[in-house]
Amino acid sequence: MCIYTYINVRTSMYIHRHKQISAMTVVIGFEGSANKIGIGIIRDGEVLSNPRRTYITPPGQGFMPSDTARHHRAVVLTVLKEALEQAGLKPADIDCVSYTKGPGMGAPLVTVALVARTVAQLWGKPLLGVNHCIGHIEMGRLITKANNPTVLYVSGGNTQVIAYSERRYRIFGETIDIAVGNCLDRFARVIKISNDPSPGYNIEQMAKKGSQYVELPYTVKGMDVSFSGILSYIEDVSHKMLSSGQCTPEDLCFSLQETLFSMLVEITERAMAHCGSQEVLIVGGVGCNMRLQEMMGVMCKEREAKLFATDERFCIDNGAMIAQAGWEMFRSGQVTELEDSWITQRYRTDEVEVTWRAD
Amino acid sequence: MAATDGGANQLEFSLDVPFPSSREAEIALRSLSPDREPRKGGIRKQLTVSGSKLSVKWSADEARILRVSVNSFLDHLSLVLETMEMFGPPVSQ
Repeated sequence: MCIYTYINVRTSMYIHRHKQISAMTVVIGFEGSANKIGIGIIRDGEVLSNPRRTYITPPGQGFMPSDTARHHRAVVLTVLKEALEQAGLKPADIDCVSYTKGPGMGAPLVTVALVARTVAQLWGKPLLGVNHCIGHIEMGRLITKANNPTVLYVSGGNTQVIAYSERRYRIFGETIDIAVGNCLDRFARVIKISNDPSPGYNIEQMAKKGSQYVELPYTVKGMDVSFSGILSYIEDVSHKMLSSGQCTPEDLCFSLQETLFSMLVEITERAMAHCGSQEVLIVGGVGCNMRLQEMMGVMCKEREAKLFATDERFCIDNGAMIAQAGWEMFRSGQVTELEDSWITQRYRTDEVEVTWRAD
Repeated sequence: MAATDGGANQLEFSLDVPFPSSREAEIALRSLSPDREPRKGGIRKQLTVSGSKLSVKWSADEARILRVSVNSFLDHLSLVLETMEMFGPPVSQ
């Protein structure tokens, strides 16, 4: 272990000395695996630009793959132009083009990958396919400086408790059906809450005005969680309870958040106990929910652990997170050949060998 | 559209796309090739470049499947072309 650390330090000093002329490593990241499209540029840990657009659907409607891809196609080149202009860089200044390889929705992923592949070739730069979940983790680590945290990754498409061990981000617990954010989004559709800026944000605001707790199923299964039964249950009772005046929409938002977040805090705490970890990092779109952060904070305080979280700029899908994971991967010697650059809707966090961490 | 009855009742479709140079045709080929067709069977697509021309050939069991694949290819192609217009021309190798 000591020898490895020593070699790594020596190697990085060597690289550093040799790189002094070309100075720093600049990576551009393309993200579009769901309803956000973002392009960010990172230069050695510094976010130079990170513009983003969100495809927002009317209340009661979710986002479908082909419509989302159409949205991304319409704006991706404008966003790319913004990313370069805001960073004040020319294509020649970029060292590597990274993009989301998966997981996510097929059609939107392809759209963004096409542009990344094309500009990589036009500019004569290496290409790098990044796992979306790894992007969230590495961005969270960069922004918060958390060293080796237990990670709770919560979004519209994913719910995982992750800890690093021996070159993998290992999944300790996860949802066995739908993601926590999907549960929230679909509940928002049932009672026609606006999707602007996001259904989760609007639920959070309404929940602050809720007072009555409506009992909902609580479904932790060991290290895993299940949300589809809770969604079915609340779909079932909400119209009855609302029309009879037994509770308000605000009460339902409050009750749903309290139940879902309690489950997430429980499995995070169990993972920490297993790993002997004293750090928690929350990433993913649901991670910017302040009530979730507050509840996690209470648990961390009881265990004398530290909580790390980021705000909506970096929690919600964005291009910089793909650039940051790409930066780490590129610096450790990885690139993706064009013929291997196919996108994949399924891509588990623990499939990626972490070649950039020395611990 | 050349929908001919191939030996095995196959629908066929072919498309030629001219590019300013062979370099750009190659770039388009390499951008458009990596992703596989979403469905498992019923359709085959082949991309080739000769000179500055990108050629695509489809053969499919049903018109419906062919239409979906050609439509999405044209969407992808126009995005690649727009990208080349805005962020090209390619740097010298």
